[in-house]
Amino acid sequence: MRLLRQALLLLRSELRQELRDFELLLTAGFFTVVLLAMFYLSFASLQARAHLSALPGLMWLTVAFVGVLTLTRIFDREREADTLRALLAAPIDRLAIYLAKSAMALTVLMICCAVLVPGLWLIFPAGQAFAESPGQTALLAFLGCAGYVAIGTLFAAGLATGAGKNTLLFIILYPLTTPVLMYALVTTRALLDHDPALPDHLARMFMLDVILFAAASLLFETVLVGAPARRSERAGRPGQRPPRDRPPLASDAPVHRDMSRETSS
Amino acid sequence: MSEAAAALRGVAQRFGRKVVLRNLELELRPGTIVGLVGANGSGKTTLFSILSGLLQPDAGERRLFGHAADEVDAPARARLAYVAHATQLYGALSARENLRLFADLRAAAGLSTRPADEVLLELGLSPEALGRPVATFSRGMAQRVALARALAARPELLLLDEPFTALDAAGRGMLSRVLLDERSRGAAVLLSSHDFDALIQICDRIVLLEGGALLRSTSHNGDREGFRRRAAALWHDLPADPGDTMADGPR
Repeated sequence: MRLLRQALLLLRSELRQELRDFELLLTAGFFTVVLLAMFYLSFASLQARAHLSALPGLMWLTVAFVGVLTLTRIFDREREADTLRALLAAPIDRLAIYLAKSAMALTVLMICCAVLVPGLWLIFPAGQAFAESPGQTALLAFLGCAGYVAIGTLFAAGLATGAGKNTLLFIILYPLTTPVLMYALVTTRALLDHDPALPDHLARMFMLDVILFAAASLLFETVLVGAPARRSERAGRPGQRPPRDRPPLASDAPVHRDMSRETSS
Repeated sequence: MSEAAAALRGVAQRFGRKVVLRNLELELRPGTIVGLVGANGSGKTTLFSILSGLLQPDAGERRLFGHAADEVDAPARARLAYVAHATQLYGALSARENLRLFADLRAAAGLSTRPADEVLLELGLSPEALGRPVATFSRGMAQRVALARALAARPELLLLDEPFTALDAAGRGMLSRVLLDERSRGAAVLLSSHDFDALIQICDRIVLLEGGALLRSTSHNGDREGFRRRAAALWHDLPADPGDTMADGPR
């Protein structure tokens, strides 16, 4: 309950900041519209059969691009004023930070999907299935985005505590989110094909999301502040040599001198 | 003798191949103010990060409030406050919203916080400024809000990384008084500063950090003039750093 309250307080603060400048929504929304325009210009003249094959890829490619843009910007806000460290030093459950950031990223992605999916349906007639099954389409978008956000928030937070490592997010995030995006792609194809196995696909996506959120929750604090040193290192085992490629930590340390009883020259 | 609010034993930290702290020993007792001096890059901020739980030391022992703290958990963090060199405030939010957010987060954890207006008044910031976005504040005003956030929590351990930064003379005087009040209340305070006069007026002990190790320290032990002389000698031993603002000191 405490965790949930703290997460909601942080989410409320995120939303309050967003409502002051609409920076995230405008950036992500505009980018979504630009991609839709490019898709239209590139693929609208293709045959309907080709549309059916292309639609899932176009949808999740957009989510991948908008997702990384959103995650980067969410943590850039924290990085600019070093506020993430203020939250980490506060007496709160650090998991609340993860939950709030994930919820914010998911909110932005779902708003973009609210533009993207109708846009794809309008551009490509093969997207008619989106309109025929709005509930399943919304669930598919939610589950796909949630899986993406589960991993993305973890790594974006980890990189935000370092300096100037935003480029790493692209390198790390895309390979790690590939399984989620691939499965979302398969499920989207099932939706467009009116595959009776669609509920099974959605159930598997849900399970995958649960696993990803659980794993990210376990790793979040370690990714942000590091794991405690091993006991042997903490104890500074006598006679232990440091690894060959590392300089010694404790040896040849200068001796501390208390000057309290000395007279200044 | 009372239990140390924080203690580090043989703490070491490296980033890649660079050793930032080595074999560091430090004890912070309740009701004392310890000044930390050192050139840029001597490891002061890393030391603050380890004490506040933002960084896990590579080696050595960290003790907080009498307990070994392999990790600085939420109950330990509830008893300490850290003001970093950056103000760590949300620019789009007002001062009141910034302070309210952290007060609400503490309240959700069952912890009380002093009213923001009361603390800000002590630090010389008018209540009218509370409604303005922090992004419109001067650095000195933002510093007061950051200090207010820390002081509102009534911490037993107060970690201040260059708290006098950007404060005008009146602000420095107010902060000095507030820190002396905190000491009277029983809080342990560790602060770093390049302001020699401010340190010498309020600190019970000054320690010199150089090359990641505590080289020397001096305590006043009731002899304020002798303390000033010894601290001045210690201050003179700081390595010259063109980027430093050591001009305030007696060198």
